[in-house]
Amino acid sequence: MKSAILHPGGGQRALEALRQGARIPELAIGGSVFVVLLLLAVFGDLVQTHDPVKSDLTRRFLGIGEGGHWLGTDHMGRDVWSRVVAGLQWSMACAFAANIINLLIGTALGLAAAEREGTLRNFARQVTDALQAFPSLIAAIVVVVLVGQGFVPLVLTLGLLSWPIFMRVTHAEASSLYTRDYVKAANIAGVGRVRIMLGHIVPGLRASLVSVFALHFAALLIAESALSFLGIGAPLGVPTWGNMLAESRQYVLIEPRLLLVPASAIILTVIAANLFGDGLGIHARRGRRAGDR
Amino acid sequence: MSAALQIRSLSLDMGSDNRVLLDDVSLEVAAGETVGIVGESGSGKSLTALSVLQLLPGAQMRIVDGSSIRLQERELIGATGIELERLRGARVAIVFQEPMTALNPVRSIGSQLCEVIERHAGLVGAAARERAHELLRDVRIVDPERVFDSYPHQLSGGMRQRVLIAMAFSSEPALLIADEATTALDVTVQAQILELLKALVRDRGIACLMISHDLAVVRQSCDRVYVMHRGRVVESGSSREVIENPRHPYTQSLLASLPALRPAREVTTNTSGCVLEVESLSVRHYRTGRRRSHPASQLTAVEDVSLELRTGETLALVGESGCGKSSLLAAIAGLVPSEGVLRFAGHAGRPAPGFVQMVFQDPLGSLNPQWPAWRIVSEPAAVQARLSRRACRELTVALFDKVGLEPAAIDRLPREFSGGQRQRLAIARALSVGPKLVLLDEPTSALDVSIQAQIIDLLLDLQRRERLAYLFVSHDFAVVRQIADRIAVMRRGCIVESGPAGEVLDHPCHAYTRELLAAVPRI
Repeated sequence: MKSAILHPGGGQRALEALRQGARIPELAIGGSVFVVLLLLAVFGDLVQTHDPVKSDLTRRFLGIGEGGHWLGTDHMGRDVWSRVVAGLQWSMACAFAANIINLLIGTALGLAAAEREGTLRNFARQVTDALQAFPSLIAAIVVVVLVGQGFVPLVLTLGLLSWPIFMRVTHAEASSLYTRDYVKAANIAGVGRVRIMLGHIVPGLRASLVSVFALHFAALLIAESALSFLGIGAPLGVPTWGNMLAESRQYVLIEPRLLLVPASAIILTVIAANLFGDGLGIHARRGRRAGDR
Repeated sequence: MSAALQIRSLSLDMGSDNRVLLDDVSLEVAAGETVGIVGESGSGKSLTALSVLQLLPGAQMRIVDGSSIRLQERELIGATGIELERLRGARVAIVFQEPMTALNPVRSIGSQLCEVIERHAGLVGAAARERAHELLRDVRIVDPERVFDSYPHQLSGGMRQRVLIAMAFSSEPALLIADEATTALDVTVQAQILELLKALVRDRGIACLMISHDLAVVRQSCDRVYVMHRGRVVESGSSREVIENPRHPYTQSLLASLPALRPAREVTTNTSGCVLEVESLSVRHYRTGRRRSHPASQLTAVEDVSLELRTGETLALVGESGCGKSSLLAAIAGLVPSEGVLRFAGHAGRPAPGFVQMVFQDPLGSLNPQWPAWRIVSEPAAVQARLSRRACRELTVALFDKVGLEPAAIDRLPREFSGGQRQRLAIARALSVGPKLVLLDEPTSALDVSIQAQIIDLLLDLQRRERLAYLFVSHDFAVVRQIADRIAVMRRGCIVESGPAGEVLDHPCHAYTRELLAAVPRI
């Protein structure tokens, strides 16, 4: 009996959380589509039927299903399905990496601003305000033009420019968590500042940060596609959704499929990410309400 | 005398799982009569009142067929949405517990009051304004012109509650529901508001349904009372009769746990060593956005307070909200900076680790909602002794035993405990490091009376066994009488009177203490 008390089973709680999440339609639909897209991106090389960059001018503008091409071929005779998958890999990787940088910078600054009053807080707030007042796409264009094209510059640009939302959410939530009685109790018990932050504050932020992460992911994906479409994101020739859109413009009347496929891919991914984020938010709020009772 | 409100066999359940919330509740309120519903949280007293307006808080809640609610001979069950809407605020008015959240913070009192008058009395412009002033005078606000132009945050809690009562009366309702209308107020203000409600109800012949957890309030202001327990009316009658000769065992147990009727603490002279000495301590808060040297930037919460506390002794700090008692506690706990001298066990400066611990008012808010109980309870010990996970769990089991919790519950989250159990958790956490001094910040005021009595018994028992010194902050004299050896009365940051508990309670010297004691509702 006593040993059963001292060694609990932890998996049950996770299973219960999953079961409750499945009851929120946003979370169920957005989450499952998002997971499928993520798996597609990770195992993309296995599902590509052709080399996405290999052109064959004898097989231009093949329709859906013709000659073993599931989504046909484009104006250079390249396989559209394989290119969409390659674009998914690029977009996911880019948005994910940039989002991680956003998360780290924004959360660190937000926590610092919430924990410390005074100069640091004012500085963090003013930088955030300045950055948010500036249209970030314009700023990204300027930086990319100065730094150059490619995956790393693109990720760094998006990563270093669009963290304010994480800073704001972290600051607001952490400030309110710092006023809780259990933080005071920890203070009285002599718990150190770092331990309070990691033990009490950061876990309390998890729900909102996961939700913001998913929502912001969609915004970054659009920003990445927009930059590629303008020709300053991914280098020319790299199969990304933005590049595919840009190239298909000239053939929109002959072959609208070439425009619709990448456009639908963007729409699907963004909607999935948004639903996922909304669902996670609803889930977190429900959990909180249950906690209040 | 015909009944203004007549509820006949009202039953309410959760549509889905048939859980019964209200079971065959019947009650009557006549015009000009004040009727109380008392019960502990979860007894269904608020649900009964909200059923009248059919403003049920849960979407699945369902009024069972065969129930009947009649307001001035009109059946309300089955009334259409539009009919009910016309009723709400016009024929039936409600005054809630929290006067701050019931008013819009960004609009002046006048504009909010006029809006209600326009809607219900059909007056506009200068006429509405005139009527608003009249209503404010009716609720005994001395300077209606100033209040009319004020915003909610510029008024005190008692003034805000008066404004809400004025709003409730603007439509000349037939029934007034007061849902814990004075619970959030200080005792002196509570006494004034109860007096005001009584006069208004009597003069205008309104039926008043007063919901309260406080038997003393009900005894003082209600003609008749219904006692509710688990969704049923277990006893009813004239409030004097019910409270002086309770027939139902539940009512008897409720009365027995009333702090005012429980034995006072036996005070013994204490000559053991000083755990805490406070010498001319002051706490100042600074407002942001101004220079610190600016005189208006400073707010003195505690001024020049001195006190001492010995091993195994309880000192109660009593005062109304805003008197600085919580700031004093926070300063002793080292949570806010202070001026003056603090000596713990004879040593100036910060106390030894684990010497001071604190128990807060809101048991849920003081427990991290994401942590299992064992992690919460063992946190102070884990930090100070670097305990392993296993040692933490073992320590928690031992502490759970000490505070009367089931050892099997150590993996549960705070929300899976009841209110009283949560407060036991918080006490267990405080004990985990073997403190000498425990700061108790209104530890019982968020709890039902029967739970309150259990927690006080637990605290007294622990004090005897562990020789703890308590600094007990409270606004409730009845609770203080049970637990305190000595009492210090605070007002506006200063201690105005202090001494042995019996002396302060029975022969108060200071006028303010007398005023406070006189305002306490009596059984």
